[in-house]
Amino acid sequence: MTVIEPSIAGTAAGSSRRRATRERRDAWILTVPALSLMVAILLAPVIIAGLLSFTNYSLGNGGFDWVGTRNYEELFTRSTYEKMFVATLTYVVTVVPISVGLGLGVALLINSLGRFREIYKTIYFLPVMATLLAMAIAWEFMLHPSIGMINRMLEMGCGTFLENVWPFMAHGCAERFPVWLGDKRYAIWVVCFIGIWQGFGFNMVLYLAGLTSVHRELYHAAEMDGAKSAWERFRLVTWPALGPTTVFVVTITCIRAFQVFDTIEAFWPQGGGPNKSTYVMMFAIFEKGVQQNLIGIGSAITMLFLLFVVVLTLIQRWLVEQKVHY
Amino acid sequence: MAGLSVENVTKRFGETEVLKGVSLVIADGEFVSLVGPSGCGKSTLLRIIAGLEEQSSGDIQIGGQSVAGQRAADRNLSMVFQSYALYPHLSVGENISVPLKMRRMNGLQQLPLVGGFMPGARNVASDIGSVVNQAAGMLEIGHLLDRKPGQLSGGQRQRVALGRALVRDPAAFLLDEPLSNLDAKLRVQTRAEIAQLHRRLDATFIYVTHDQVEAMTMSDRIAVMMGGRILQCAAPEIAYEDPDRIEVAEFIGSPKINILPLEISSEGRLSFHDQPLDLAIAGGSRGVASLGLRPETLWLSGGEAPIRGRVAHSENLGSEMFVQVDVPGLEERVTLRAMPELRASLTLGTPVALDFDTDKALVFDADGARMRKVRRLSAAASEVA
Repeated sequence: MTVIEPSIAGTAAGSSRRRATRERRDAWILTVPALSLMVAILLAPVIIAGLLSFTNYSLGNGGFDWVGTRNYEELFTRSTYEKMFVATLTYVVTVVPISVGLGLGVALLINSLGRFREIYKTIYFLPVMATLLAMAIAWEFMLHPSIGMINRMLEMGCGTFLENVWPFMAHGCAERFPVWLGDKRYAIWVVCFIGIWQGFGFNMVLYLAGLTSVHRELYHAAEMDGAKSAWERFRLVTWPALGPTTVFVVTITCIRAFQVFDTIEAFWPQGGGPNKSTYVMMFAIFEKGVQQNLIGIGSAITMLFLLFVVVLTLIQRWLVEQKVHY
Repeated sequence: MAGLSVENVTKRFGETEVLKGVSLVIADGEFVSLVGPSGCGKSTLLRIIAGLEEQSSGDIQIGGQSVAGQRAADRNLSMVFQSYALYPHLSVGENISVPLKMRRMNGLQQLPLVGGFMPGARNVASDIGSVVNQAAGMLEIGHLLDRKPGQLSGGQRQRVALGRALVRDPAAFLLDEPLSNLDAKLRVQTRAEIAQLHRRLDATFIYVTHDQVEAMTMSDRIAVMMGGRILQCAAPEIAYEDPDRIEVAEFIGSPKINILPLEISSEGRLSFHDQPLDLAIAGGSRGVASLGLRPETLWLSGGEAPIRGRVAHSENLGSEMFVQVDVPGLEERVTLRAMPELRASLTLGTPVALDFDTDKALVFDADGARMRKVRRLSAAASEVA
């Protein structure tokens, strides 16, 4: 017996090892279709773009040269790209807080309404549903320096008290009102305004959904605890309850703000607005990579863009897990 | 601490009248339970007292002062909610300190981060901290102060909600079914603890529940509400032994009181199923009435007895036994309390004869109002009080 035992034990261990190997192999075979799709559709393009960003490749060329980090160096040294960063960041830093704040404010107001809720919801959501490209054309007409509605309306204020209290009016009436889309001082702000106008309705809808999950009894508890003003109730109950919604809304709005493209393409198809003041990243990628067929530099901007989005997403995940998950 | 009075309060939601003229006077330090079935208006009444809901008419006075038009935050009342309503983002300690912060700190001192640097903030904060610790100690939740409500069990959350209510010195405590989310065992334990807390604080408690056992075991007085009215407000033993109306008798007591139909002869003599009983109504006229008999007032009779039937079901609780008897001609079974030793002689289908303590018989007229002028015929005339 003492002779046989180890051999039996050896066979048993061998068969269980074989079974484990087989299971591992089957598992891999079963996941291969999903994995290969994921690699082909999601990972490969990113990796290829990453590789191309170190080359001077152009579509149609037979070959390319490795240029090292030259594309990236260009990004951080040329003044065009400096303008790109300034325009993109101006847009993001302006549009995100204002459209999130407006979305929250409008959601709170609509939530407090007894009647006409649906009407207001629809009105504020209309710009979200509309095609931005078409809307941009409508805005282009409205912003036209001489026949546009905006400047016509401003002209109506000439000769009234507005001229005395508002230097902008005084200046406009004395000389002329701004060429909104042709003046580098105004162009980016016009784009920001349209971005906010178009985007806050979406945030409002997300906040309205978040507000339905706030426990009503918490407001009563807050009232019993002595929270008298609407602000105290907001701070004690509403805002913390909306934490997860806020993180999501801010992240989504940030990513959408980085992606702004169609307004600029509609207003200035030739490139980036007056003095490149609205030359945002997405437009730069389009101009370099598609219009000018400079795939290398286009890929470098794309990688940078991807980096911003990944950092934002990581921050969101961290916030959701650490701060707003009760 | 203060007494509280409710004067002729009505409440309408559109067409529906939820409260139909409710009056109630609660003395300082008293524990009063509002008890009744779902939809009887007890929670609405509590919310009106709290100021979370406005009455359609009538007045509420706290400590002799009318609080008409005063909002909940100004009424100096504390409330424990059925769902506990703890702030999920705040720790237990912060939850308990909210009522104090809201009242003692100004807007700047309450600000996050910078609030602590405002003049006077530190002193107030340390005062609040010591009061919170004291309350937590009283409720034995001192070790939980840093946790979030999401990390607590139902019983612990309930204690935190109690802590938040008692941390400041309110005129009265309002409790809205605070035990209904706890399991049976914890409920019994917490019941005793709340009663103990009431004795210790000597404060006015108004307690809403649909569970008559909770009301009976904790309160100085119980107000039985039905259909938007208080039917009777009395000490638990009086509501049990001497109810004013048949609805009160039926609601209070478990198992339920037995209700038997009675006929009144023209001389006032009462009879059940044509069998004359040893009871008569002074000045009674011909008609029908109801006889209420608690399970413990019935006993098994060897010989002649007015109630006869067969054992249909029995529940042995160990210390006592409830036997349900099918009586021909009655829709509902008659429940009798018996000693468990008798279980051998009370098998299913056994014919039994039941007699009852005439002194403890409760007679109600056709409208359900109590008829108090009942006397025994055999003994000297005695009134059942």
